[in-house]
Amino acid sequence: MTFAAVHTAGADLDSASRPGGRALRWLITRLAGCLFVLVAAATITFFALRLIPGDPAQAVLGGPGSQASEAALNHAREEYGLNQPLIVQYLLQLGRYATGDLGTSYSLHEPVATVIGQQLGNTLILAITSLAAAWLFALLLAMWSARGGRIGTAIGSGLEIVAAAVPHFWLATVLILLFSSTLGWLPAVNVPGPIGLVLPTITLAVPLAGFLGQVMRESLLDATASPFVQSVRARGESELGVLWRHTLRHAALPAISLSAWALGSLISGAVVVETIFARPGIGRTLLAAVSDRDVPLVSGIVLVVALVYVLMTVLADVMDRLADPRLRVTRR
Amino acid sequence: MSFSLPRRSITRFSLSMVALSLTAIVLAGCAGEPSAGGDSATPVAGGTLTYASGDAEPTCLDPHVGGNYPQALVGTQFVESLVSENAKGQIIPWLATKWTHGSDGLSWTFSLKPNVKFTDGTPFDAAAVKANVEHIQDPATGSSTGYLALAKVKSVTVEDPHTVTFQLSSPDSALLESLTQPWLAMESPTALKRAQAVNCQTPVGTGPFMVKDWKKQDSITLVRNPHYTSPPADAKHSGKAYLNEIVWRFIPDSASRYAALQAGEVDVIDNAQPDTIVAAKKTKALTELNAPRPGASNRIELNSGKAPFNDEKVREAFVKSADVNAGIKSLFFGTAKRSYSALSSVEKLGYSQPSLFSYDPTAANTLLDQAGWTQRDSSGYRVKDGVRLSVVFPVSTNQSIPAEQSLFQQIQATAKKTGFDVQLEPMDLSSWYTALAKDQYNAVSAPYTKVGPDVLRILYDSAGITPAPSGYFANLSQLNDPQLDTLLTQASATTDATTRADLYTKAQKIILGGYYILPLYDQQNHYLLRTNVVGLRALPSVSTPTFYDAWLRR
Repeated sequence: MTFAAVHTAGADLDSASRPGGRALRWLITRLAGCLFVLVAAATITFFALRLIPGDPAQAVLGGPGSQASEAALNHAREEYGLNQPLIVQYLLQLGRYATGDLGTSYSLHEPVATVIGQQLGNTLILAITSLAAAWLFALLLAMWSARGGRIGTAIGSGLEIVAAAVPHFWLATVLILLFSSTLGWLPAVNVPGPIGLVLPTITLAVPLAGFLGQVMRESLLDATASPFVQSVRARGESELGVLWRHTLRHAALPAISLSAWALGSLISGAVVVETIFARPGIGRTLLAAVSDRDVPLVSGIVLVVALVYVLMTVLADVMDRLADPRLRVTRR
Repeated sequence: MSFSLPRRSITRFSLSMVALSLTAIVLAGCAGEPSAGGDSATPVAGGTLTYASGDAEPTCLDPHVGGNYPQALVGTQFVESLVSENAKGQIIPWLATKWTHGSDGLSWTFSLKPNVKFTDGTPFDAAAVKANVEHIQDPATGSSTGYLALAKVKSVTVEDPHTVTFQLSSPDSALLESLTQPWLAMESPTALKRAQAVNCQTPVGTGPFMVKDWKKQDSITLVRNPHYTSPPADAKHSGKAYLNEIVWRFIPDSASRYAALQAGEVDVIDNAQPDTIVAAKKTKALTELNAPRPGASNRIELNSGKAPFNDEKVREAFVKSADVNAGIKSLFFGTAKRSYSALSSVEKLGYSQPSLFSYDPTAANTLLDQAGWTQRDSSGYRVKDGVRLSVVFPVSTNQSIPAEQSLFQQIQATAKKTGFDVQLEPMDLSSWYTALAKDQYNAVSAPYTKVGPDVLRILYDSAGITPAPSGYFANLSQLNDPQLDTLLTQASATTDATTRADLYTKAQKIILGGYYILPLYDQQNHYLLRTNVVGLRALPSVSTPTFYDAWLRR
């Protein structure tokens, strides 16, 4: 999905003289790019699932290894159109998507849209709190290490590398052992309310904070060393003022662009985190759907996640412009 | 049977690393019927119990649809069968009070318990039984397990409201055992008429609890049936259940499940792994309920349909090359007992022959020399006519717990010493079934749950070598012996208990003596519960827990 980011970033660069036409062209290119990403996601998912071993008709009849009778299998194949050639099934699925119909899950015997509707909210809440927490961790670390001179930088970058390298499943287990089994402060598995979000959020946020922190600290250092900051300081601005009004924006810029990517990675991290913490969500649903070869459900989830990702990329671009006056000036 | 009992396990370091410094208590071994917390205090009604399952979340709560173990686990709480089994392996009354069969074994008449109602108010009667059998046999239901079990049932006749007759196409000595299983439980015919998606969400039975709500990926809420009157004959009390409510959660990760139990967030967990069972035994707050599943033992099937295991000497050499006992000891910490039988230890007609399965590398080497595998290549593997002695072994990561996967690695290591190149191939369930369907294996371990020794007919009758339309076939050792087929067919048709036992013993001698399988241990089924949960037991039929007699000590 990275090519979407490249594509849309390219669209940003062109600037014509008529503002209205330019905005329209930008919008059209942008939408075409989004559409391409969505169709590609649907296509790759469909064929990937149908080319790996496993019979989707079994998903209808209780999962892999079902000893379904011939009559039951034929019934299922007919009901879900599995007896048609693969390419016809693919085109029918695309056709359904064009009308906004995500189809019916083989294994859950429910409309895919209903299943996603029930689960997406939980995952989005987790992803958004994790993104916010990652931002907070990264920002604090970047600010601290940028002020700490060479030693601060060394410690900061060491911590970031460790954080970025920590696998979710390992971190989750360590957190459960520490905060649930040993200290008894936090629940090991999901409970209603914000307290159940704490450990899953930290698990997802720490590795991401490592990535964001690295980017932030470098831009923060660059900004701090640049001539305009010196002139601000010469004007008598306090250290906090310099940070808050000037350098922080520089530090935030690349991290904002990264956040769209980050949200995508958080949703994939949710597969592991939701499983370990027994949280309902789209990641766990996806895992079960892949094992069952539930093609409509997997495709539907991938499509929705791709849609969220595409929307976030657009949003990140807008945020970029808000945070960076230079983008606004050059494009006016 | 259950064709999928995925125990998702994300491999990582185990909880046993936590220092549990609590006093160890020795748990009383539960011989016979497994039950836990069996003290004589007066039961207290009320309260909510939280159960955490490590099995996959069912995709449909109606156990007729598909029919796997996760459905049986939760289904046991809200649907009931015509008959059950007691700890001695005898068939006992449940929704049917008595039964008789014709002398030809082709008709079975059941008298039904009167005044029983489904929780939607529909009466349980002969017409309901007929509707249930027809529901299971309807291809549109997509029943696999129930459908197979009713293969010999031709039709069902309503004699009067409380008497029903099953007409069979051929005698079936396993009919009663099959009927104990939750996959053939009785559901409200009114509810069955609803759309399948609706019935999957809220199936209606006669059980002590009823499905109130199912939040997917999270929990099923079961509430007490206030009008309950129909416990099985071996229940400890009558009338309604003690618990107000059961919250049935799904916590796929073994370490999180155990941590939640320790913290008291849940009261009972299933699929307890060896390390957590050992840890639990060291704490006063937890007890164990060990209820091995019926049917086949966990065993490695050797594919006798193709080289190299089409040679009995090579099969015997492999069996004698595998140091199973050492592996079980070091990996299961005493939680699993070695099996020398094709059948589970809970099967009364199981036959064991330990002498066949001792670790003997010297004998194995001699056998391989005799079989012509005399050369060794540079890696130390045996070679014959330029072909290496390879054993392709697909491993289902859903069905084999981490300890079992490690056991396979130990077998791989000890078999290497005699010159076997065991190639372990971990894969997900769908890929694994596909590999089997394509005959791309020499060895495989596949669990099979079914009540009664008739499982032998499914697993070892030569008819089981031909794949079903779904690609599934059960005879994974591809055992093709007309004499065995005859024995198994006779055993499934006889109505005389002694003859039946004799025929099954003879059949098992052929299976074990031909080195078609390497038995490992029973299908592991360990529950851990907090000590304030009293009266929980596993139904002796398919070893699912029943919460009817359970209560919470306060």
